[in-house]
Amino acid sequence: MVAELPLPNLPLSMQLVWLIPLYGFSGVLLSLPWSTGWIKRNGPRPAAYLNLLVTLVAFLHGSLVLRQVWLVGPQHLAIPWFHAADLNLSIGFDLSLTNLAALELVTGLSLLGQVFALGYLDKEWSLARFYALVGFFEGAMSGVVLSSSLFMSYFLLEMLTLSTYLLVGFWYAQPLVVTAARDAFLTKRVGDVLLLMGVVALSAWSGQTEFTELYAWAASAPLTPLAGTLLGLGLIAGPMGKCAQFPMHLWLDEAMEGPNPASILRNSVVVTCGAIVLLKLMPLLLISPVATDVLLAVGAISAVGGALVAIAQVDLKRAFSYSTTSYLGLVFIAIALQQPGIALLLLFAHGLAKALLFMSVGSIIATTNCQDLTELGGLGRRMPATTGAFLMAAAGVTGLLPLGCFWCFGLLVQAFSAEHRSFAVVVLLTNLLTLFNLTRVYRQVFLGDAQPKTRRAPEVSWLMALPMVSLTVLVGLMPWIMARIDPVPGIASFSPGVAALVMGSGLIGVVSAAVVPLNKAWSRSLFKPLRTLQDLLAFDFYTDRIYRATIVAFVAALSRLTNGFDAAVVNVLVDRVGSLSMAAAGTLRLSVSGRMQTYVLTALVAIVLLLASLNWFIA
Amino acid sequence: MLSALLAIPFLGALGLMLWPGELSLEKVRRAALALLLLQLAWSLRLLLLFDPSCGGMQLQESIPWIESLGLEYRLGVDGLSLPLVLVNAGLTLVSAYASTTVTQRPRLYFALLLVISGAVNGAFLSLNLLLFFLFYELELIPLWLLISVWGGARRAYAATKFLIFTAVSGGLILAAFLGLALVTGEADFSLTPVLSGQLGMGTQLVLLGALLVGFGIKIPLVPFHTWLPDAHTEASTPVSVLLAGVLLKLGTYGLLRFCLGLFPEAWAVAAPWLAIWAAVSVLYGSLAAIAQRDMKRMVAYSSVGHMGYVLLAAAAATPVSLLGAEFQMVSHGLISALLFLLVGEVYATTGTRDLDVLRGLLNPERGLPLTGSLMIVGVMASAGLPGMAGFISEFLVFRGSLAAFPVATLASMVGSGLTAVYFLLLVNRVFFGRLAVTPPEPGGPLDIRLPAVPLVRHLPAMVLTLLVVAIGLAPSGLGYLSEQATTAMSQFPALLAAISGKPA
Repeated sequence: MVAELPLPNLPLSMQLVWLIPLYGFSGVLLSLPWSTGWIKRNGPRPAAYLNLLVTLVAFLHGSLVLRQVWLVGPQHLAIPWFHAADLNLSIGFDLSLTNLAALELVTGLSLLGQVFALGYLDKEWSLARFYALVGFFEGAMSGVVLSSSLFMSYFLLEMLTLSTYLLVGFWYAQPLVVTAARDAFLTKRVGDVLLLMGVVALSAWSGQTEFTELYAWAASAPLTPLAGTLLGLGLIAGPMGKCAQFPMHLWLDEAMEGPNPASILRNSVVVTCGAIVLLKLMPLLLISPVATDVLLAVGAISAVGGALVAIAQVDLKRAFSYSTTSYLGLVFIAIALQQPGIALLLLFAHGLAKALLFMSVGSIIATTNCQDLTELGGLGRRMPATTGAFLMAAAGVTGLLPLGCFWCFGLLVQAFSAEHRSFAVVVLLTNLLTLFNLTRVYRQVFLGDAQPKTRRAPEVSWLMALPMVSLTVLVGLMPWIMARIDPVPGIASFSPGVAALVMGSGLIGVVSAAVVPLNKAWSRSLFKPLRTLQDLLAFDFYTDRIYRATIVAFVAALSRLTNGFDAAVVNVLVDRVGSLSMAAAGTLRLSVSGRMQTYVLTALVAIVLLLASLNWFIA
Repeated sequence: MLSALLAIPFLGALGLMLWPGELSLEKVRRAALALLLLQLAWSLRLLLLFDPSCGGMQLQESIPWIESLGLEYRLGVDGLSLPLVLVNAGLTLVSAYASTTVTQRPRLYFALLLVISGAVNGAFLSLNLLLFFLFYELELIPLWLLISVWGGARRAYAATKFLIFTAVSGGLILAAFLGLALVTGEADFSLTPVLSGQLGMGTQLVLLGALLVGFGIKIPLVPFHTWLPDAHTEASTPVSVLLAGVLLKLGTYGLLRFCLGLFPEAWAVAAPWLAIWAAVSVLYGSLAAIAQRDMKRMVAYSSVGHMGYVLLAAAAATPVSLLGAEFQMVSHGLISALLFLLVGEVYATTGTRDLDVLRGLLNPERGLPLTGSLMIVGVMASAGLPGMAGFISEFLVFRGSLAAFPVATLASMVGSGLTAVYFLLLVNRVFFGRLAVTPPEPGGPLDIRLPAVPLVRHLPAMVLTLLVVAIGLAPSGLGYLSEQATTAMSQFPALLAAISGKPA
């Protein structure tokens, strides 16, 4: 399985597939002269162009490989990286249709997002730094989706954590950004450390890090139930953090403080990467039924909870970031219930549509400089392309019209209808709540009278409009694309009853949101119970406060305790002993006579005593 | 060949002291740099002559010295010591390069730096226990002087503390070496492992305990660590670089070479306790680091935590974990040197290291953007982010130790997570946010403009950053260099068991 590179009979594009992640990483180096300020003439735009170019090359290279895989079938490439004793680490690429489709999604959306960013960050002084970070981001993601080894997936997921931290912290001078970046890093890091424990344990017990070999090892599973459970929980923690699942969902919402083009990628492809790693881990999780149950519980809570919290948000970006948590919850359920095909389709449909949704949100923010829902209104006629994009994204991401997610939901409900009724209900409920959320946002932003901030709202420049409109078309074509790449037997293989259920749930969502009163002046209800509920959801079930009161307080107290112990006990003891010895030396100093004879005598006595004791010791 | 690595710094130091006539700081510094460059070049030449496929001692040199005492001038190098010799050469050069503000007695200062470097080389290379001890003690006095003469405000306290601690450490080590010679009756002080046939397990454990405490002080391990934060806070930046990057490695080197190398059987008996000790040290150091308000103290406590990994790896004593220990020694040397350099840069520019006061230093025009960017790389490397030296070291340590000591390893991994907490707090506070270098007060200056740091001053930090990334991306080179030696060490207990003819 491992090594034998280069495979002489493979086409060049496949042999050179290891270049694809490097394209993204090379963007970092290419941007350096501008991001460090060595080149100051003519602004930082050339860095952006170079990054766009390498991303385009990555996309084209990816499509070449995709075509080859279509022709010659899946391939596996491995390059030895580090070897010591019984440890073999290699850089492995799994060239399957799924992985390459995911790669094309990543590089394609990265390309569109970068063009969009050119417009959105038009006046940004540190544009080059942004592109360097996006290049890093894209390189890590391309590697994750192609990776065939757990070690390499972990390696790149951590790089993703780092680049998320830096991208969220892009505008590092703002206080909210600082806390957002911190939370993003630490939340993901908790998941990553748990995942690392899993990776290390798997590597130590099985001696392998390649997924295929791990599957074979897991099938024989020479593990105690406890070890298996802990291992399973460790392994799912990483993807949970990456996919912003409950209880590690906090960061995605706060990460909305970062620049919007990065949010586009984060809400579509970054979470997809996390889910793809989980998909690759799935056969290993069979050793641990508890881990599967936890996945289901986490997925269900995230799906419904995320959709509910989204409804109570007044911030335009946050209203949709919670919905990402919610959709990834559905993906988790699908993976836990052994529906990898549907999970992939859902990831694909959601990724494209959510990216489009965030592009339209970005357009609104760029035009109005406002992301408070209560201050927006009447944009429908003023920004037609943005409105179209929003509507298309909304249709694509939900199950009402027969676009992408409709078919996914149909398949999910059909698959769950036999044994897992309750999860079918979760899917329908999520659909209902998401449509409710989208409809209320649509009413607040695009309908109604123009507000002071939206009175003059021209459509965005072509740099933003072009990627947005292209993506609108793509989302519109989703059913057709899905039918072509379809990994399951027919995307329409569900009963009309199921279709009616999905559409019905969507319709209820739309209609109820259309009739519910939305008062801009009173965004918090005057009716006390309702207000309490609203606050509970608006503040995300007070998760951050709970964290602060529990885990953060715990670690802080422990560190204060350690430090106090260090200063009051260890150090004081040491000082005591130290001052004792200094005092003793001080006393001894007084007994020194200064006579040569005494010194010689003392030395002689000491030597005699020493030798005598030596003799006694050896004897 | 190896003696040159001692001759260059020692004769150089002598030359610097005896050179007739007045010498300005810049001249002395240039001379020291030239000598250290020569030493680095010589160490690199050693690298070329070294044969990594052979596990034993190479390029041995031996001159009888005081045979009746068992003191023999005997040097040799293997995969365990060679990387450390290189780190020593590189970091002393960095340290001398960064010593631009020595106003008092520059000659003595640079001579002392050279003596330390030579003594450390001697300690890493010596194959005789007494010779090792001589060099181990020889490095102590110059460092004490460097802290007590060129240190900060509380330097007398810190230096005395350092002196007492390290003297105790030296005393214990000497006692263990002499005791070993006494009870075995073989006064040749060579690096031969002790067999249980020769010596009862109880005596072995007592001697091992003395050595462990001796080296534990130097590493330092909890609870013998309190001299380190004080020494670091009071030492100047170049001395901190040397202390963290090179001198602490003497402790871990001693742990591997002498504790594990001389008493493999007793080591195997003590290993479970040592693993617990390592985990406690890691967690204690990391938790204490979170509570620090002084950047230098924080980095110092992080050293306490990170050196604990080496004890964990040594306790497990598998081929992978020992290789991890070697990696951890090298990468901690490079990373902590980098962090101390950058903290020193911040201190030199802003006049404070207080985390409660400093804000927003990443500011592109008026702050320290390059220092900040390098700092982010440095703390991420220290926190074990992949692609940098810290990760592969920690991965090897954990991967090698997990099967032997699962609980201690998992606890140490939590410590690795805590590293991210305190270093992220450091970066977030000091480098993010709105630029400020004094406590906010009404009427205080609104706009601060920090003097730009010239690029040449960042040269060592940039080189170290590149090295850290290079080891992180292509660790095979270092692995190849050390693998034979560490694998051989890990097989000591089994080999000995085979010799003494009973199961290990």
